[in-house]
Amino acid sequence: MRLRVVLVVTFLLSFAAPTVAHGQSAKMRLEGDWVRIDPDGVGSFGGLSGVIPPAQLLPGVSAPGGRGGRGGRGAPPTSGSGGPNPEGVPYIVVAQPCTGGGPGRSNGALLVNPDSGGIHFIEHKDEVIFAGERGGVRHIYIDGRSHPNVWTPTPAGHSVGRYEGNILMVETTGFMPGMVPGGGVRTAETRLLERFELSPDGNRLTVTYTWEDPKVYQKPHVYRYYFDRAPLVESKGTKVSYALEEWCDAGDPVEKQSIIPPKQIIK
Amino acid sequence: MKRFCILTSVIACLVVLPTSARTPQEQRGAPDISGFWELSFDSRNVPRANLLPTLTRAKLDARAKKDAYAIRWCNLLGVPFIMDPGRPLDIRQGSTAIIIVPENSSPPRYLYTNRSAHISEDIFDPSTNGDSIARWEGDTLVADTVGFHGEHGITAIPGGGFRTEKSRLVERYRLLKDGSILSVTFTWTDPTVFRTPHSYEFRYQRLPATYEPRQWLSCDPFDEDRAKFLESPPSPKPAARAVSKE
Repeated sequence: MRLRVVLVVTFLLSFAAPTVAHGQSAKMRLEGDWVRIDPDGVGSFGGLSGVIPPAQLLPGVSAPGGRGGRGGRGAPPTSGSGGPNPEGVPYIVVAQPCTGGGPGRSNGALLVNPDSGGIHFIEHKDEVIFAGERGGVRHIYIDGRSHPNVWTPTPAGHSVGRYEGNILMVETTGFMPGMVPGGGVRTAETRLLERFELSPDGNRLTVTYTWEDPKVYQKPHVYRYYFDRAPLVESKGTKVSYALEEWCDAGDPVEKQSIIPPKQIIK
Repeated sequence: MKRFCILTSVIACLVVLPTSARTPQEQRGAPDISGFWELSFDSRNVPRANLLPTLTRAKLDARAKKDAYAIRWCNLLGVPFIMDPGRPLDIRQGSTAIIIVPENSSPPRYLYTNRSAHISEDIFDPSTNGDSIARWEGDTLVADTVGFHGEHGITAIPGGGFRTEKSRLVERYRLLKDGSILSVTFTWTDPTVFRTPHSYEFRYQRLPATYEPRQWLSCDPFDEDRAKFLESPPSPKPAARAVSKE
C-alpha cells in the first residue's frame, strides 16, 4: 500500500513540477509591458507631481528651475505653476514640440521616473532591460558587477541590481546633474535606490525611489510611482500586449510646432 | 522492491524538479543568443538584390532622398538599419521576447516568442521596426517580421531595394564557433520591390560580457551646422566657422 502511495505521489509531483517552475520563475514576472497609473485620482501629471513629498534639501542647495519628473518632451505643460488657476484665468495647454532624437525624456534621466508612455522590461539572468516607448533604454546589470571606477556621467547613470525574492533592487549612480521629482536634485555623486515590487497577483508594479546624497539632502528623498500591466488588446482571437512605436518627425511643420492653443472663452 | 520504488521516486523528483525550474526555452534546449554583438569590416556578406525592373533610377533616388530626410531630422531609423548601426547591439533573451537594443536613439526591436501570430493588421500601426514573432527551430531562432511602415525611417535594404508596407523579413539567428559568432541571415520578400527573395548574412562577433553600452550621441535636428553638413556637397576647403572654432 505504501508503495502505491509513494508511486502516486511521485507521479503527481512530476505533473506539479511545472507549477513549481512558474512559482520559481515568479521573480522574473517583471517582464512585460507596463503603464504608469494614477491610483490617487489626482487627475493630471501636475497633480501626480504634487503628491510627491517635497525633498528636504540642505541649506544652500537649490533645485534648478523647472519641475522634476517632466522631460523636455514629456507631458504637456500647462499655464501657471501647477496649482489651480484663480477664477477667470483660463488654462492653456501646449503640447511639447517634436525635437527629434534627443537623449531621452523623464526629467533628463532616461526612464528614471517614466511619464505616461508605455515601458517594457525584458529580464535575462545577466541584465534587465528597461525600455520606454517614448525613448530611452536602461541597462540594469544583475550579473554581480560593481559600478565602474571611472565613469562619465550620463542621463541614466550606471545601474546594477539584484533580486530579493520577487523584488528587483537597483542602485544607480553617475547621473548627469539635473532635477528630481519633488524639488530634488541629483549630481554625479547622488545615489538612487529603486525598488521594483510586484503585487501578489503580478499586475501592479510599485517603484519606490530613494535618492541619497549627503551633500544635497537632509534625509533620503523617497516617493513612489505605480504601474499596471499594459491593457491587453484582442488580436485574431487572442489577448495580447506589445510595444508601440511613438513616431515623431521634427521636420514636419505640424509636428515641430506646439499645438496652437484654442481660443479661450472666458465667461 | 520497496527500496527500489522509493529510490526511483526520489530520483524522479530530483530529475524533474531542477528541469522544471528552467525557463521554457532552456527546457527545450534552445541556445541563449544574449550578449553584446558587434559587426566588423568583414562581417557582411551582401549580394546585390534582384530588383523589379519597374524600380527606375528616379524611384530609387526618390527613396534615397527620403532616407536622407530621416537622418537629417533625427527620425526613428528602424529595420534594417538598426541591425547595422555602427555600434554594438545588446541582445537579451527574456521569457516572452528577445530584445535587440541598438546604441542609438531608435527604439529597440522586440522579437516576441510568446505568440505565434502577428498582431492583426486591423489594430497594428505600421512602424519602422514592424511586428516580429520568433520561434526556435532546433538551434536556430527564426524571426518573422511584417507591419513595416513604408515611409518612416531609413528604408534602404543592404544590397539594394527598400522596405515597404508589403515587405516581409525572415531572419535566422544561429550561434557559431562555440557561441563567439552570431550568424543572422536576412531574407526580404516584397512583391513591389524584389523579383526574387533577397538574402544576405551578417556575422556578429561577441564582445566580452563586461562590455557596457555607451551613451548614444545625441541628434539635434535644429543644429544648423549639422544640417548644412548633411545637405550641402562636401567642400574641399574647411568651413570658415569650423576653423574659427579651433
